[in-house]
Amino acid sequence: MQKGKRVTRRQFLKSSVGAAAAFTIVPRHVLGGPGQTPPSEKFGGALIGCGGRGNGTFNGLGPNVEKLAQCDVKFLRHADNKKVYTDFRRVLERKDIDVVAIATPPHWHALISIAAMEAGKDVLCEKPMTRFIAEGRAVADAEKRYNRIFQVGTFGRFRSSTNPGDILTHKIMNSGLLKPCKAVHIKPGGLKVREWSGMVNVKPQPIPESLDWDMYCGPSPLRPFHPHRFGGTHRGYWDYEGGGLTDMGQHHFDPVQWTFAKDDTSPVEVEAFAPPAHPEACGMWGWVELKYADGFTIVMDSHEWPVDKKPSYKRKESRGVSLSDLSEEDQKKIKEMPDPEPLVGFPEAIRTRKQAGGHAAAATRCVSLMHLANIAIRTGRKIHYDPVKEQIIGDEEANRLVNQPMRAPWHL
Amino acid sequence: MKEPSSALVELVNKMPDPDQRGMYCTDIDKEKIERAITNMHKGGRDNIIGVIDILVEPEKGGDVKAHYALHCLALHVCKLKNERSRRRFARTLASQIGGGRPKEVQKYLVRELQVAGGREVVEELGELLVDEELCEPAAQALAAIGDGAAEQLRRALPRARGKCRLTIVQNLGVVRDARSVGALKKAAINKDREVRIAACWGLANIGDAGSADLLLRAADKSDGWERVEATKACLLLAEKLVAAGKKSEAVKIYRHLRDTRTKPTERYVVDAAKKGLAAAD
Repeated sequence: MQKGKRVTRRQFLKSSVGAAAAFTIVPRHVLGGPGQTPPSEKFGGALIGCGGRGNGTFNGLGPNVEKLAQCDVKFLRHADNKKVYTDFRRVLERKDIDVVAIATPPHWHALISIAAMEAGKDVLCEKPMTRFIAEGRAVADAEKRYNRIFQVGTFGRFRSSTNPGDILTHKIMNSGLLKPCKAVHIKPGGLKVREWSGMVNVKPQPIPESLDWDMYCGPSPLRPFHPHRFGGTHRGYWDYEGGGLTDMGQHHFDPVQWTFAKDDTSPVEVEAFAPPAHPEACGMWGWVELKYADGFTIVMDSHEWPVDKKPSYKRKESRGVSLSDLSEEDQKKIKEMPDPEPLVGFPEAIRTRKQAGGHAAAATRCVSLMHLANIAIRTGRKIHYDPVKEQIIGDEEANRLVNQPMRAPWHL
Repeated sequence: MKEPSSALVELVNKMPDPDQRGMYCTDIDKEKIERAITNMHKGGRDNIIGVIDILVEPEKGGDVKAHYALHCLALHVCKLKNERSRRRFARTLASQIGGGRPKEVQKYLVRELQVAGGREVVEELGELLVDEELCEPAAQALAAIGDGAAEQLRRALPRARGKCRLTIVQNLGVVRDARSVGALKKAAINKDREVRIAACWGLANIGDAGSADLLLRAADKSDGWERVEATKACLLLAEKLVAAGKKSEAVKIYRHLRDTRTKPTERYVVDAAKKGLAAAD
């Protein structure tokens, strides 16, 4: 309306109706009320890593998160540093972003998760949580230091935690009454060993103009570009992930870890049957046996080597735990125990500030199973592991894979 | 470089061929590989250098089997649990770096030293810290080896520029070299943001109580990403000080952060500082 201009009655009525109409289309979440989200429960979100799993991971943030920014090293041509970025640090500087979904290749998962929590953001990070063991502890330390919400992008434990059989096993194992534990969990196949192997004869190719290859390599060695090292097939290289085992393992073993109450510990012995590993490319292996201090054993049997679609592990058979493994007195104790608290999903966690079900301290124990298995595969040696110090005992060279040096400026 | 012997070439050729996808996924015979590697290792230094002589730049290709064989040899000497064998292997590799071999081949040798090298090769690795193309793998190998790394990094720092300088500053923090505190304090006020951030983190990781004021000043005056990282360095230093029993110095850091972070967007830093204070008491 121009200053000093006379307003007729008709004009006044017209503008008032317009104003009233505008008022009625104000989103209900701004006003709150029953069944509506009040403004205090709306969150600004960013997606970092916009490849295959990107949007799916972002949707896991829940319905109350609005996407304000997206970031990917392949956006070099059209990044505007307002909504589209190539450098996650610029995204994390924004004060209007509360929550970050991370769907980059795994060699970036820990560093971006830590940086996001240092900047005060909550994090939903795609699986596998990390590329090596020490990264997971650093993420858990950041989660604790800054009191942020972290959830890894796998949700099998949520199903297990509502399954009566798994709850019973959880209670028996959590009680510490079963000693020694003779349970053996064998995972037969499903670990995509051949599918996510790396090429051993890559010849360098020109870097695409839209790609910031140096930033893609990030903490990992700066290698000559080859398209197989990028865009999904990165899974086949130790620099970025750890083959199908780390790609699929966290899905398979996260519910097992919850069920057998191993969220705060790791195996003490790890042995693999595999040919000598290639230095850069993930390849074939037969089985890995991981034994906890109480005797509980996890077996990963690839069914892909030495003979395809056949098991190669012959040492033990699958065995669960049941109440009958305990004395009558101990059975009574288990029956009197309350069920564990329900696990909290990410959308509820960021609203209530309760710890998420797949929090960093638990998630790092799970992904450590795959890292330990890969260390045994890569070194060809039986590994003895200290679950408290999170270090390999008596094998300095193997221990170098637990905490791998990074390329500057990146570090844990 | 001389032609490898026919016996060695025969052993190298026992390594698997890549399959149709260029991978080691079919016909991988563990026993055959391990037998060939054992025999290769029996040939000692000549065989190791013979395998290295086959290696070429990635653009040329054709060295897939030798590339794999050298890594298998590194795994083999670690598996033997015989320090003399491992050291002999590592010294042989180290003797082949820093010369005229292609830089990509040298990078590969350095990475294999990260797998199987020890104290006996740190001097050769240290010489590479001022080489723009080799400083990163050399620093990573040194950090992985640990023993003797700090001295090499410290010696190379005055000669290093650009990427090499940043790499060395960061790794002095990684190996927690208390003798580098003075150099890191200088680096913490460098004109290069990445060097400043790396130096502040290094001082925190070393746990140097005398750096508290410098780190707090860095955190107070910076903004954006640098402020986030400098604040992290302050909190990390405070944690290290508490662990070392220097509670009063830690409390000073926590109180400063608690009292100066007044914006709602930094409320989480205040909370972290309060939590640290409670733990320090």
